[in-house]
Order: sequence, then structure tokens, then C-alpha cells
Amino acid sequence: MAKNRKAAKPHMHDHEVHVRAVEEDLEYYRTKRFEPRVIYFARRGAVTFYDLLKANPSPKHTVKPSKARKGMEARIRALEDGLDDYVRGFGLVSSLPVKGIEMVIEDTRKERGDYDDFFRIAKKEHDGTLEQRIARLERDLRDCKTLLDAFAQALLRKGLIDQKEFRRRQEALSAETEWSGGRIVARAWVDPEFKANLIATGRQAVRELGIPPGRLGKLGVVENTESVHNIVVCTLCSCYPHDLLGDTPWWYKHDSYKQRIIRDPRGTLEAMFHLRIPPSVEIRVHDSTSDVRYMVLPQRPPDTEEISEEELAKLVTIDSLIGAGDALHPSRRKEAERTERVRPVYA
Amino acid sequence: MGDQVRIKQENPVGNPRTPKHIRGKKGVIVALHGVIPNPQDHRGLYSPLYTVLFDVKEIFGGSSHDKHRVDVHEEWLEAE
Repeated sequence: MAKNRKAAKPHMHDHEVHVRAVEEDLEYYRTKRFEPRVIYFARRGAVTFYDLLKANPSPKHTVKPSKARKGMEARIRALEDGLDDYVRGFGLVSSLPVKGIEMVIEDTRKERGDYDDFFRIAKKEHDGTLEQRIARLERDLRDCKTLLDAFAQALLRKGLIDQKEFRRRQEALSAETEWSGGRIVARAWVDPEFKANLIATGRQAVRELGIPPGRLGKLGVVENTESVHNIVVCTLCSCYPHDLLGDTPWWYKHDSYKQRIIRDPRGTLEAMFHLRIPPSVEIRVHDSTSDVRYMVLPQRPPDTEEISEEELAKLVTIDSLIGAGDALHPSRRKEAERTERVRPVYA
Repeated sequence: MGDQVRIKQENPVGNPRTPKHIRGKKGVIVALHGVIPNPQDHRGLYSPLYTVLFDVKEIFGGSSHDKHRVDVHEEWLEAE
């Protein structure tokens, strides 16, 4: 499983990298987040397997015959968009309070087998040609969405979640907002007082930008400098301040990254991310627990003195907040536009 | 702060909240976080949390000058 694959930012001329990213991401959300929740609810009789079978099949998930005519790139983009929908839908459903059930993240870890292999949910084989893998993903994504629909329908039908609140959050999710991560870093670059406050108080500081601070423990902010480069990992699971900064890329949650980055941080940054850190710069690996989740404050790129705060925010990448990359030089901004998929998690 | 510590060598059942690779290894405390309520993540409270600084060399061998900062709960720490 831990082959020497590039986890670098995908370019669409490398279709395989994009397909692999969707496979890994879908598997993560299915086996580590959604199915454990379904099982937990079934055990407690809140949403039983029989409730799920009663769901009305959603018409938008039926097979469209024209699919075969689309080019590979269009099909991959459709998969990525479809996956985003699935993840947002899951985020929405799991963010709502449920009558009689209080599930915390630790319950999910137990239910998916983090502490006992007995509870692990089986992964699928992702073999075959690229065409076969794409077709399999199209079927699997459809199935995943069908189950998610059935789960949401059962919760609504049984009055376990509030219909009005569901609609309200659904609308809020579809509203376009600026990515918080970019805004936070850009403000830290232009305002030294904000930066000091961010480092000292973490989540509370972001309220100044009208960003909800979130509640997932404390935020640790570690600043990259001329002499220190920071990189974040959660070796035990995949903790990250995702409620504030959005989803992590699939590789952050993957054993191949977690094992390699701790054993050889310098070599792994170069091999996996093409990030060469000079020998004079110390690399610090921050291994998070669930209670203090870390964000890297990347260095401000050169030649950005004349750029507005809004434009500066667009130079910040998801990778740079983990430490797997630097913030972009303005000349590389266009290159990043279509390759970054920021997926906020509704918390 | 600045105390030398060693991580206990234990293998509990359930959630260890401490990575295997640092068990039995020596480090230095560089931050105190205290007790952190996190009701979205877990019920109840864990013991105070510290950041412990390790050399990558100390944990995995080799000649790297790089560092690990690992957050560890108090019950896993022994004075060195």
C-alpha cells in the first residue's frame, strides 16, 4: 500500500493522481466517518437497517446513459465534484443535533476500529485500468450518496433531526464564502498585532475576522521562519483544526504519510512534496492530539509588498498550512487555481 | 518547563493517546497546555497536556538534526 506515489499537488495531465485522490478520499469518508456513524446509530436503535431500507431512492442518483460519452478528464472532474457533494452532505447531516443520541468523535474512533481491529471496516480493491477505476468510482459514489440520503431521510422521517434547521444549514452551505485559512494567514502577514494574538490565543483571535472560532480544542499556531520549518501530522488518527481551516488532503490521513514524515521528515518532504528544505533550517514535526490541533503559519512569499490582503489570501494553499508546501509566489497563482479543492467541513 | 522526561513504556488497551514510537524515549517539556475541555471530541477531561521535544535521532536513530514536538498527557510522563 505504501508505494512511492507522489502526493504532490495534482495536475490534470496526471489523471492517475486525481483518480487515486478520489479513491482514497471516498474510502476515508466511507469507512472512517460515515459507516461507523451508521453502525453506531443502528446499535442504539435510532436509525435501524430496516429504517434505511425504507428510504425512497433519490432520482438524481440513477444512471445517466450519456455518461459513457464524456472524456476522462470531464468524468474525473465530475467525480471530484460529486465527492465534494457527498462530503458536504455528510458534514451537514453529522453536524445536526439528534434527539436521544450524543455522538462524539471519540465514539467514531472506537466504532471504526482505531483501538481494536475487530471493528475495522473493509476497504475495496482499486485495481484495474484507469477507465475501470473511474467506472467503479462512479458506481461507488452513487451508492455512497444513496446510503447518505437514506440515512438523512430516516432521521427526518423519525423526527430525530429538525427539518427547518436541516434546510437552514443546507442553504448556508451552498453560499459561497472565502476560505478562512487564506484570510487568517493574509491578515497575520499584514498585521503584526493580529499575528501575535493568533499565536498567543489561537481560535479566539479569528473572531476579529468574523470567522467563527470553532470548538475543537485549542489551536496551536507554529510560525515558519528563516531558521525553522514546521510540519504537522497526527500519527494516531488524523486530527487537524478542520472546523476552522477545512478538510485536509487525503494523504494527511494516510499511513504512508504518517509513517514516513516522522521517520525522515526532510527526505519525505522532498520525495512526497518536492519541498527541499536547506540543511541550515531546522524541521519541526508537530504530532497532534485531538485537544491541541496545529496550523502552520507559512512565510510570506517574496515580491508581495504591493499586493492587497485579499490577493495575499489567494497565495495560501492547504498544503502550506500543514507544512507540506510554501505559500505561492504570485507568479504561480494561476497554476494553483484549479488544482486546489478547499472543502470546508460544516462543524 | 524545561524538565527532562521519559515517556512510559506501556501498552494499554483502548485509546493510548500516545504514539508507540516515543514510548521509553527521553525528551524535554517545552509547553504546558493544562486540561483542555473538548466536548465535541471526547466526553470528560483528560489529564494535563504537555508538548515534549524530542530529537528525531533519539527516536529513530540516524544523524538528523530535526525535531519532533509531541503532545503528551501527564500520566505518560516520568521525571528523568
